[in-house]
Amino acid sequence: MLTADLVRPRLHLRGSELSIDMLEERDPCWLQSAKDLIDLLQEQAGQSQTAWDRALESYVGERVDYVVVRGLAKILTDAATFTPLATPLPPIQLRERLFHYGPVFTSPQLFHPQTRYEVMKSVADELSISSEQVETTLFADRPATYLLSDAGPQWTPAGLLARYNLELARGVLYWASHITIEVASNYKDLWKFIKLFKLMFWAEPKQGGGYRIDLDGPISPFVSSTLRYGRQLAAFLPALLLCERWQMHAYVRPPQAKGETIYRLDHTCALRSHFKSSGTFDSRLEADFANEFEQKMGGKRGHWRLTRESEVLLLGDTVMVPDFVLVDTKDENRRILLELVGFWHPNYLRRKVEKVHAANCAHLLLLVYKGLNVTEEAFQDAASQVIFFQQKPVLKEVMETVEEMAERIYGPRTKPERRSKRRRTPKHSRSGDDPAADDQIPL
Amino acid sequence: MSKSVYYHGGTLVLRDVDAGERPPAPFKLIRERWRCEGYHYGSIQPYLQEQDVRDAVPRWQPLNLHLQEMREPHDYQVEALAAWDQAERRGSIVLPTGAGKTFVAIQAISRVNRSTVVVAPTIDLLHQWYARLVNAFAAGVGVYYSGEKKVLPLTVTTYHSAGDLMAEYGNAFKLVIFDEVHHLPAPNWGEAALMAPAPLRLGLTATYPEAHEQTPGRWRVDDLVGPIVYTKRIEDLVGQQLAHYRTQRLRIDLTQEERARYDADYALYTGFVHSRHLQRHHGPAWLLELMRLSAIDPQARRALLARQRLLQLLASCEGKFTALEALLREYASERVLIFTEHNTVVYDIARRHLVPAITHETNAAERKHILDGFQTGHYRVIVTSKVLNEGIDVPEAKIAIVLGGTSGAREYIQRLGRVLRKVENRQAALFEVIARKTIEESKSQRRRRQEAGSAYG
Repeated sequence: MLTADLVRPRLHLRGSELSIDMLEERDPCWLQSAKDLIDLLQEQAGQSQTAWDRALESYVGERVDYVVVRGLAKILTDAATFTPLATPLPPIQLRERLFHYGPVFTSPQLFHPQTRYEVMKSVADELSISSEQVETTLFADRPATYLLSDAGPQWTPAGLLARYNLELARGVLYWASHITIEVASNYKDLWKFIKLFKLMFWAEPKQGGGYRIDLDGPISPFVSSTLRYGRQLAAFLPALLLCERWQMHAYVRPPQAKGETIYRLDHTCALRSHFKSSGTFDSRLEADFANEFEQKMGGKRGHWRLTRESEVLLLGDTVMVPDFVLVDTKDENRRILLELVGFWHPNYLRRKVEKVHAANCAHLLLLVYKGLNVTEEAFQDAASQVIFFQQKPVLKEVMETVEEMAERIYGPRTKPERRSKRRRTPKHSRSGDDPAADDQIPL
Repeated sequence: MSKSVYYHGGTLVLRDVDAGERPPAPFKLIRERWRCEGYHYGSIQPYLQEQDVRDAVPRWQPLNLHLQEMREPHDYQVEALAAWDQAERRGSIVLPTGAGKTFVAIQAISRVNRSTVVVAPTIDLLHQWYARLVNAFAAGVGVYYSGEKKVLPLTVTTYHSAGDLMAEYGNAFKLVIFDEVHHLPAPNWGEAALMAPAPLRLGLTATYPEAHEQTPGRWRVDDLVGPIVYTKRIEDLVGQQLAHYRTQRLRIDLTQEERARYDADYALYTGFVHSRHLQRHHGPAWLLELMRLSAIDPQARRALLARQRLLQLLASCEGKFTALEALLREYASERVLIFTEHNTVVYDIARRHLVPAITHETNAAERKHILDGFQTGHYRVIVTSKVLNEGIDVPEAKIAIVLGGTSGAREYIQRLGRVLRKVENRQAALFEVIARKTIEESKSQRRRRQEAGSAYG
């Protein structure tokens, strides 16, 4: 994370609009600096943190763009690992013993008959180690003396510049009181990260799909200018970059501005996330189900299209992103949600069942692994349909149930155009703020 | 469905209370939920009882601590605690510096005997509180700040970290103690007090903020902590806590080589500052302007680097180490505190003379160990960077040596006042070692003039 002194000089204010002076990622000068720094760090392998700081200082020299150079170096340093030197005894024990003799001097004197050399020697002898070992052990627990043991990921110069730009944007969010985002697609990761960073959200479905989401924290309504959640908002930013189409407004109070400023960002920006989006499938079970569906029911073989996690159920205080959505290709309004409840920890299941109860959602079909200690009764009150399975869900059975459900909810499919468009997205906006609220992902 | 109230990130939230209902004033309907700041917890109690709202807020627990301290409280400390009890254990106690505020707090914790958090202004004071509480109760004490995060039923934090602590563990504490409570009106400092649901609160300070000083913030100390319950002024305590000491300035010369480097860098640096009239055009903000320019203008950059080299030189010039050694030899049987602002110099001295160092890197346990060892005589000297500035108890120290004088007058005076607590009737001494014909001399002069008007003259 870049510190304020490395971010602040890169900001521009025009009225209440805040912008960042980002680096051109193809600029040969910056690429060269990035390369120099990456090489410099590599050369420091096995050297102390202090040595790296000095090498950096001399590399920066009289350059006026030192704010950028230090910023690039900060990113490298944060990703690198410095480890303490192995010592024959804990440094703190040595200090306790040695400092009892202080103050000592190089030459003897009436009150201090023992010189520094003699004290070091006698303590070394008592411990059966050398005087040199005493010297190196003395402050070996200070981070300044830690040795560079791992220079971190394999940076490319362009990759480092890209990361620097991302960190600048995150740096701005440090001073954010709240942000609003609009996203149109693939939000699964978004909910996951909102939970992960303990943010509060308030989501409203948008006309034409997608959501408008306000992000802040519990105290925000009472202390509107609070910067309490800036750190979490900054940490969250890479998650937003995982979405395909989005825009963000951040309400920011950087130190150089009098009041609130706005920082805008959208999917056209060049920033790239270093977070991993969740793979196509969370589990083997899901992958197998999707494959089987493609083989037997995919393409022209049926009238259902299976899509991944494109719908979000806002349930009370939390969200649920069902694994699959089955969309009737003849009438896109006919949708059945599929959730596979596989091999999970009992606590996860308990929360899952609670969620399903809360959902009270008629177009949700649950496929539950029989071997789990979830009783069938647990799902009885749920409005949702439940199918239990032993090894894997039986596709035929699943699709029969899907047809039944669709017919019950949307009516016979022969005359779909007469059906009124029913809302399946929740009528009310919901927020996620209960501390007990659960996440889709067991953390 | 039964109604309940729970704690969430500094707020109290009603569960199963409809938007149509009308809970009392502090609650606001926010995104379909009734919510208010944590500090209203005490005042909403009647409502919770009348409406039979289940209270799921408190997570605090008995401390079961036994006070080890056998020291008898002063009369005024007894009075202060009685007044606080009378005010239902909400409010501030105003006592002059050095009158034993920590002792009062320890007594208060012992009386309440429920989980407590102490909020201190700085990490250094946090460490001091930690040491005092460990000694007072002979029990584990948690610390929560940037360096260490360990939450226990009795925990010390800083104003800076208190918000995060409250967001996560706010309802784990029944009593909150605000040390130097006059800091609360500052924009970010009051937030933790706002978030905490703790019904019992104690503010401690020597200088309670005036009404007009409370307005710049968004909250009033009285609202967050309660009213002033007790005040004792310095005049009422004369003779009890005053210390006597003398100060002495030692001027050392730079070596020839150092002088040459100093003069060159000084010329480079001041030459630029004067040529651009930075001081005339920017007043006190001239240094900020120099920093800004240094990111654009190569000359400014060189001037700034020259300034940095110059300060580094002054911090570690040979003469100072020679003077230090002479003083350490001279006061061989005394407890000595050495101050310097530079971390690297601290560790140089620690290594050179084999004396313990306290800096921002030193953790709470080792710090306590060093200060305890200083008191018992296991250690005779401590070298420290600016961390022992404010409110640190080192009653054994009779000699203080300040290497270099780059800090402000206020800080300097506080150092004096602290080091030189009255122990028996021995006179204490403070030595300031400064380099002759350098910027240190003029700084030292300025400080002397400011001191002339102070209580320590």
